[in-house]
Parts: sequence; C-alpha cells; structure tokens
Amino acid sequence: MTNEPDDRPNVGTKDATSGGLARKAIFAAGGGLALVALATAAVQLEIVPRWLIGAGSEIDESAAAIEPSDLFTPPLPDMIPDGPFGEAVRRGEAIFTNTATNASDHVGNGLSCSNCHLDAGRHPKSAPMWAAWVTYPKYRSKNDQINTMEDRVRGCFTYSMNAQYSPTGKPPPVGDDIYRDLQSYFFWMATNAPTNVALEGIGFGKVEKPEMGYDLARGADVYQAKCSVCHGDDGQGQRDLNGDYTFPPLWGSDSFNWGAGMGRINTAAAFIKNNMPLSQPGSLTDQEAWDVAAFVDSHERPKDPRQSGTIEENRLANHDGDETLYGQVVNGAVLGQGTGPSAARAATMPKTQGN
Amino acid sequence: MARKSKHSRPDEAFEPYEEHAGVPMPVNWVAIALTIWGTAMLYDTGESVQESLQDRAEDSDVVAQSVPDEGTLLFGANCATCHQPDGRGLRDAVPPLAGSEIVAAGPDIVSRILLRGIDGPLTVVGQDFDGHMPSFDSALNDAEIAELASYVTTRWADTTEATAQTSEEVASLRAEIGDRGSFGGGAELAMMISSLPDQPPMPARSHVQAGDQAARDLVFAGRDQVWSCASCHGDLGQGDESTPRLAGLPGAYIVKQLQNFREGTRENESMQLVVQGLSDPEMTALGAYYTDLRVPSTARPVLSGDLKRGEQLALQGDWSIGVPACFTCHGPSGFGVAPNFPGLSAQHAPYLAAQLANWVGGQRHNDALGLMAQISEALSTQDRRAVADYLASLPPVPAGGASMARMETQDDQ
Repeated sequence: MTNEPDDRPNVGTKDATSGGLARKAIFAAGGGLALVALATAAVQLEIVPRWLIGAGSEIDESAAAIEPSDLFTPPLPDMIPDGPFGEAVRRGEAIFTNTATNASDHVGNGLSCSNCHLDAGRHPKSAPMWAAWVTYPKYRSKNDQINTMEDRVRGCFTYSMNAQYSPTGKPPPVGDDIYRDLQSYFFWMATNAPTNVALEGIGFGKVEKPEMGYDLARGADVYQAKCSVCHGDDGQGQRDLNGDYTFPPLWGSDSFNWGAGMGRINTAAAFIKNNMPLSQPGSLTDQEAWDVAAFVDSHERPKDPRQSGTIEENRLANHDGDETLYGQVVNGAVLGQGTGPSAARAATMPKTQGN
Repeated sequence: MARKSKHSRPDEAFEPYEEHAGVPMPVNWVAIALTIWGTAMLYDTGESVQESLQDRAEDSDVVAQSVPDEGTLLFGANCATCHQPDGRGLRDAVPPLAGSEIVAAGPDIVSRILLRGIDGPLTVVGQDFDGHMPSFDSALNDAEIAELASYVTTRWADTTEATAQTSEEVASLRAEIGDRGSFGGGAELAMMISSLPDQPPMPARSHVQAGDQAARDLVFAGRDQVWSCASCHGDLGQGDESTPRLAGLPGAYIVKQLQNFREGTRENESMQLVVQGLSDPEMTALGAYYTDLRVPSTARPVLSGDLKRGEQLALQGDWSIGVPACFTCHGPSGFGVAPNFPGLSAQHAPYLAAQLANWVGGQRHNDALGLMAQISEALSTQDRRAVADYLASLPPVPAGGASMARMETQDDQ
C-alpha cells in the first residue's frame, strides 16, 4: 500500500480481508475473554479498590451483619406462634419479665428474671435462655445431682428470687405451670439451636481474677463513679412514682439472697464486665469489674436458705473459697446473718414457716 | 519532483479521507469484555429483582396477616408499659385490669378514668396501690379513648352488659368533666361505682401554692438580662417546638441543667446568657416551681417519624445497635426517675430530636457516664425522629409524682 501513496487505501481487495477479518475476530474474542477472566480474578482476589466496582457501604453493611451472625439469634417476639403452645410461650415471657406479679406466690424480693437475663433472656453474655436451654439436663456440683431445666429454675426461685420471703415461702412445687410456661418460652427461644452444645454467648462469660485480686475500697470508688447514678448511693435501686423498681436493688432485703450465683464475686464480675453500665458493656477493666463486684457482694442480703446450723458451718458446706465473702468479717460484722424481709414482703409472708 | 510538490501542497479540490487503520485490537477486547460483563450483570440482577419482588410479596403477606386491630395497638402503645400486655399490672405498683372491680363497672367509667387520671390510693383485687395514673385527656382524641375503653372492658370485664363506647359518648364525657382534675383515689371512684369493695381513705390533698413569690416573679416578669421564663417556655411551662416543656420535670434535674448551662457543659445561647444572672437559691426555687406544675400536653408527633419504630425503641430498645429501651432508665411510660433521668413523655418532639443530635454534636455533654452520647450516636436520624414522635404522643407525668418524691425525701431525712 505504501507504494501507492496517491490513491486512497485499497481496502477492498479480497486477500486483505478474508483471512485477516477472521483472524481479527478470533484475536478480539480471545482478548475479550482474557480481559473478563483477568477482571474476575482481580475482583475475586480483592485487589481492585472497592470504589471501582461500586461496592462501598453495601459491602460494609453485609460485613457488619456477618460478625454477629456467629452468634445464635433467637426468634423475634412477634414470631411467637398462635395456639396453645404460643400462649404458653407468652405466659412464660410474662413470668420472665414481670416475675413478682406473674409468679407472685414465689417471689420474695423486688427482682425479675430479666434484671440479670437482659433483653428478656435474649442478650448474649447475660445468661441467655436460648443457650441455657440446650445444655440441660446437666450435672451441677451446687446440688450434686443431675439437674433438669425445671430443677435449675427452682434454684433460681429459691436463691435469686428469694422464695423464702414470698407468700408461700417456697419455690413453685414440682410440675407447676410456672415451670411449664417458662420452659416453653426457653424452648421456643432456642428454635434451630443445636443441642448439647455450649453456644457462643452462654452464661455471663468469664473474667479472670486479676493479679491484684479484689479490694473493697477500690470497689467502692468504682461503684460511686459508675453504678450509683442508677442503683443509688445505697445500692437499693430506684423506684418510679408508683413504687416499681426501675433500677433493681443490689443488696438488702429486696435483693437476691446469699445462695444466689450473683453473690459470688467471679459471677458478678463477669456479668458486670460484659453488661454494665447498661449500653456500655466492656467499658470497665477486669480489675474494676472484680473490685466493684466484691464491693456489691460485701453487703448484707437475705440469708442463705440452705443454712441450718451456724454461718460457719454453712460457709464450709456451701461457700468455701476466695470468690465469696460469705462468713467473713467485713466492717466488723460477719457476713451472712441475713436481712429480714422488707415491710411489703413481711405483710404477705406465711405466719408460720416450715409446714 | 512534480509529485513531491503536489504531495506537500494538496490542490484545492482535496478532500480529507481516513486511511484504513482498522480498530485497534485492545479496543475490540474491551468492547467484547464489556459485552460479556453487561450480559452477565443483566442476567444476575434480573434474578435478584425477581427474588426481591417475591420477598416483598411475602413480607406484605405476613404484615397483612398479623396486623392487630386498633384497640390492641393503642393498648400496646399507651397502657402496656404499666398495666403489662396481659393486663396483670405490677405487684405493689400498678393495679391489674384483669379481674379489676373498676373495669367491671363498664366502659363509661374506664373512659372517665382515662380522661381524668387517678391520684390517690386504691384497692384492686384485694391489693393496695399508691395510684398515680396520668390523664390521657390531652394525649388521645375522642375516638381513641372510646376505642381503648371498649377494648379494655371487652377484654377484661366479666360482664354481659354492653362494652362498646362511641366517640360521641366520650366527647360528652369530656365536656361534663371539664377541668375537674384527677380522681381522688379509690375513695372518689367508690362514689361512682356502688359495687366497689372498701377503698382506702383519701389523704387530704395539700393545695400547694406553686413556688414562692421570688420564683413566680422570675417566671413571669424576669429581671434585667434574665428575661422571663414564661416568654419562651410558656405561661404554664408547657414549652413549644424546640423549647422544652418544663412542667413536671424533676426539680433537681432542672437545677442541674441550669448549672450546666453556667458551666458550659450544655450549650444554648439564650440559656447561657440567662443563667449568668441567676443565683443558686433562685435555681432551686425555679426547679421547685416547675416540678409542681401539672399541665396538659401540648406536644404532638410532628416529625413524621415512624411511631411503631419509636415505640419499639422506647419499650424494647434495639440491642442490635446497643440501645436499651428508653424506659429501662426513664421509667415506665417515660415518667422519669429523679433526678438524673428526666421525664420524657409529652415532651416536644423537635426538642427531643434536637437534644439527641446535641449529644452527638457536642453541644451537650452533661450526661452521667456519657450514657446519652453513646446511645444518640447509635441512633440514625430516622430513629431519633421516630422515638421523639412516640414520646411526644404520650400523656404527661401523672399528678402527684413530684409530691410523692418529696414525701420520700422527707422519709429519708
């Protein structure tokens, strides 16, 4: 072609096109496919910047959504089915969140289950009931026997709900509807959970005891700075204008008794570290959590219902070890003597006990 | 040579032409790659559009199936925080509706109680209660009161008589009641309901003259640069828009806010100027003045927030974003727990939403433990509008709240 610079390029000649066009088409298609392959590989290997492929916030959201999905998610309250089972679930939820009203005969203090099992027993690391449900029946050294869920809940009524100061003076009897309803609620919350597995978020978590141990004076400072705004300077919680506890009492006659798990410093420290102050979990150091847990558990509360002899005998039987202050002398008095019932509870207690 | 010159200087008839250079091969590659990508994307999104259409159809099916009636919704939004969803109340605090002798008296009485509220001790199903219930007069309209009265009696009154109430009946009740104020406990109710069991006597209501004269002067006349409180907050402390309602707030809370304006931990040009001229005793007097005021709500949900979402945030919270229920700390129905947790009910929506924004924006950092800063941060703008609107739709703090808090402090001393 260069020999004929005067003429317009001779594009139409047969020999220039026929083979060339086919060859070009093949090269083009091959190259195109190769580009697609390269681009796909690049996207797959995540070496392309995100803004280039138009995946900014959407990707971020799904990444954020993936993280908690490691945790088991119980069904939402509006997914409770209709029918007799659903009604039992609803009653169970009502007992769980409003225990003093719906299990009135067996609650001897001012607490509800949901005071420690936050978000109606759904919140991870505040002993969620979906995680507990799938680990029963199980052996517990606390009573040295195999416990069914009903046995376990009876323990809650006995200690955490302080049944001894309730109108009946006892936890609900074996086979009571209260257990049926509560267990229906737990079972429903554990929908789709694997069984006999320690699910992530079970219990209150664990916080190792710090090297410095715990100290009541340091704990008092933490309490004043972080807890008193809600639970009050005197630890007695705060009530609304109708007298209902908006913030639960942490010690004294309307709180859990000396037999409750929360009376153990390690348990309380884990709960506090992972849940308190409400909406700021994890904001305390391990040291602060242990100090303030010890401070809370260094106050008098209703007596341990297991105590039949002296405090010292009960200490050796049920409270031996460094993780409870039961039976020890704090501020000049032996802890564990117990408070009497509050005036409101005394008014509804049976006149004679032990029948 | 001739050719050369011709070539370097084309004649006038020359028309430009394009030499055949073909399309560069890389352009072909890109074109084909884009075609393949485009086809793949069309196929891909086509599928997900189908899926999302299906999802949406299923979602709306679920909503359509489970949409509760008006009465259930009203009860959930206005009554259930205290009387509980199952109407069994709270031991030692809130009377049950289930089995209640008062509810059994019929919808007319229920409407009257909703309109007036209760302020005084009463006995229900053998239990004694202090009895502090708000008046819904300013929060609900005739149709809503009628709906609620019908719902409550139909669900809990063991009666064969008519349980329906019409909005016309409520309207005439409203006219009849006028400004009679809240029921004086079970004693006054027993005068209307002959079948009520014995009721505790009503303690003499001390008629408190609201605030001392100095405080009233400040509120209504002001002094120098301290312009009168009423000029912005209204004659009754009812507030408006982004000026907060002060009536019924805990006195200690009001005092703390005034001090915080002075210290600069809470920013607002007007208030920071005003507090310059206020002494500590004057702040205390103003707190006492406003906490005693019982004033109907003038707040309305005006921010077009999602009331259902607002109700959820207030009652249950949203733990997935680390936000506990408002009422966990601010008390059931947002009546407040003195002195650190102010009442939120009947507060103006624009003010509430603005405060949530201020916690984030740094104009307010006077909250205990930074609780509100963190919670506000977690809430989206829509969430803030939603919860502000819901709280504005609630009735004001019941009568007697402040005086009871005072009684308690006296007990402590």
